Parts: sequence; structure tokens; C-alpha cells
Amino acid sequence: MDSRRAPASRHDAGQPAGTPADAPTGTSAGPPRAARANAVLSVAVLGLSLAAVAAVVPQHLAAGRDEAIRKGPGVTAVRRLSEWFPGIRGTSGDTDVYVLDSGRPGATALVLGGTHGNEPAGYLTAIVLVENAAAAEGSVIVIPHANRSSMTHTDYQEASPRLLEFQGASGRRTFRFGSRATNPTDQWPDPDIYVHASSGQQLSGAETRNLNRAYPGRPDGTFTERIAFAITSLVRAERVDLVIDLHEASPEYPVVNAIVAHERAMKVASGAVLNLEFDDITIGLEPSPKNLRGLSHRELGDATGALALLCETSNVSQGRLRGATGARQVIEGTDDKYLRAARLGRLAVPFDERGWPLKQRVGRHAASVGAILASYTSANPGRPVSLRGLPSYADLMARGLEPFL
Amino acid sequence: MSAITIVYRLIAAGAVVLVVLELFSQRGWKEKLTAGLVLVPLILRALMIA
Repeated sequence: MDSRRAPASRHDAGQPAGTPADAPTGTSAGPPRAARANAVLSVAVLGLSLAAVAAVVPQHLAAGRDEAIRKGPGVTAVRRLSEWFPGIRGTSGDTDVYVLDSGRPGATALVLGGTHGNEPAGYLTAIVLVENAAAAEGSVIVIPHANRSSMTHTDYQEASPRLLEFQGASGRRTFRFGSRATNPTDQWPDPDIYVHASSGQQLSGAETRNLNRAYPGRPDGTFTERIAFAITSLVRAERVDLVIDLHEASPEYPVVNAIVAHERAMKVASGAVLNLEFDDITIGLEPSPKNLRGLSHRELGDATGALALLCETSNVSQGRLRGATGARQVIEGTDDKYLRAARLGRLAVPFDERGWPLKQRVGRHAASVGAILASYTSANPGRPVSLRGLPSYADLMARGLEPFL
Repeated sequence: MSAITIVYRLIAAGAVVLVVLELFSQRGWKEKLTAGLVLVPLILRALMIA
């Protein structure tokens, strides 16, 4: 056969070698069977893709919902952070602000949990406070999720658990485990270098989404800077006397199991450390570095009249040396890799088979809040502030978190 | 929503359309499946879900 002959039909023209001349094109009167099968297969594959997307959506929607925080007997008002700065209204940066007002004159304290969503002792202490405590003197304002956006996702490639579950006294309780930083769907792209607005300090680009590098914030700044500005505005408007920011850090981090205090807050912090030591809670005291900018203890101390302090506990799930990561590790605070590191003398805190369980970390934070308020009241007897009903360190160690949730 | 986010989502949505067209134009089931797999993260990004 002469391969150079003219095409037998228009189907032959332009077809690659080996393509059957009668391959379906769908241009004949009715679609050929092969074309119909092709369309059916395409629709089936498209359906599978859409089903995979749909499977993810409920988890995404759940991540955006606030978890239930039950108003305790001491909560006198629940407000929204956007009341102090409307620029965050309707965004995932807006969050509940719980007010515990004794109705008696005194000082005002602000307790921040959840500045970093992957530091559960911080926000769980704030939640335990809201659900169990009441102000006995002065008033205490509590923000359990200072960076609510950071609770809506987890850190990339860290294998973080999504949820922490407890059988609490009021039923089964589920709390999210979040990220150190604002969700990139709320703020992106990250710059190569993050420049802190008021100081010009340069940090790694990802720190642009770290609330504790964004203070005092800007009304027209990034999403994270606007959250910081809202908190700063609250501190100014409510004439907050004392800010306590609750955090966690990895066991190898030098500043752990410690209170970090602005220079104006050193007297109050020293008194608190002494009070804690009397209760056999060993805790360090660190001055707020003047050249590390954007942190709550530095900027709120400089930009407002409040005494600013930050508390750290030891959390293995944040560390670079950790082994298998999961909710159990977060709650029990044990890790065989950290045990080995401790035996090699590589950690900043004592570490044994008991680890640093969440109940102990929350217990330390709760005790620190109580001790700081007591120390402030001792130094300022005319402006007392205190809590009642806050579980003690001994209570939490003996009974765990569950009876208080 | 910032301007750059709108641009990003438009690009992602455009890519979704192109991949869907590719899915229907391909003849082999392996190519279709590949297009289907590519679609999943693209749709998630267009919706800014993941």
C-alpha cells in the first residue's frame, strides 16, 4: 500500500502515526461509544476529586468555629476584642474577652492565653480561669485565644495533633491545638525579612505572623499587627495595671519555667517568684531584653502604663528533639528522646520519666497568675486585685485538669 | 480580602478550569486520574481551605 496516498477521510488528516482513522471525535451525528465512555470517565474522576475536596471542608469549617468556653460564676461580661479596635471586626482575629469584675475597687489585670496556639498550657489556664474563678478584688480580664487565627491551623510539617480531648467534669471537652503563628490564609505572603514597625528590628520572614513579635501593633498594619494593636488599645482604654501573657517553650530553650518581666514589673515579678518558691514551685526570673522588640513584656511595658510579664512552662511537643508527636505527648509531657537529652545534660529544665504533664504546666501557670496578683497587691495595697476559685497547683497535680473543665 | 489574595484566587481558579478541560480532553484513564489528583489541591487553594 502506498503510504503517501491522500487521506481517505478528514479524520486521517493531521492524525499522528498509529492513530486509527476511525477514532471517535464526537462530530458525527451521535457521539460514538468511545467518546461517551470518555465523558463518563471524566465526570467520574471529576466527581472523585470533588468528593475529596468535600471530605476536607467539614474539618476546615470546624477549625474556624470557636470551641465552647463555659462562662464560670465569676464572669460578669463577655465582650469582643473588636470593641477596642473595630478594624478586626468580622475577621478570625476577633475573639472573646471575658471580664471578671469583683465590683470592688482595685486594679485591673489582663491575662492572655493563646498568643501561640501550639502552647496549650497558656490557653487552657485561661479557660480554667474563666470557667472556675471569680475576681475577689479589682477586676481580671481574660483573653483565652489572643491570636484566634493561630488556632485555626497547625504548623506545616510538624505532625501536630488537631485536637486535645478530656473527659471533663461538665462532659467531654475538646480543645484545638493550633500553631505558633497567624493562619497564612489570613495573612500572606510572608516577606523574606520581617521588619518590626516601630523599632526597625529585622527578623525571619515567618515572624511577621507571630503575635508576640507584633506589639504594640498598628491600626493599618498587617493582620497580626492589627490584633496586637487591638490588645494594646484594650490595655490603654481599660487602664490595665498588669498584663500576664501565658506561654510555653521547649525544654532545651534557655527561658523556660520562668517569668519574664519588664523592668518596671521586676519588683512584682520578684515577689511572685518568692511566693512560688515558698510553695515549692521552682521558677526563674528573666528581665525583658531591651533589644528584643515586639514582645508583649517589652512593648506593652513601654507603650502603656501596665506592668507586663510573661510566663513560660516546659512543653516537649514544641521541641526540636522530640520523638513521635501527638495529643498524648502534649497531655502527658513525656518523651524518650528528651529523657536521653536530659541524661546528656542538654536541657534547660530537669526532665525525668514523669516529664512535664499538661496538668503540671497549667498548675504552674495558675499558681504564677495567683502569685503575681498577690505580689502586685502587696506592693500596691491601695489597688488590690485577686482571684478566688482558681485551682491551686496542688489541686491540679493531685486531681488533674478534668475536674476543672 | 486583599488585592493579592484576589489575584491568587483568580489564578488558582483559572488553573482549575484549565485542568478540568484537560481532564475531559485526555483519552487515557491514567491521564484523567492524574488531572483529577492535580485538581484536589488546586480547588482547595482556590477556596483557601488548605
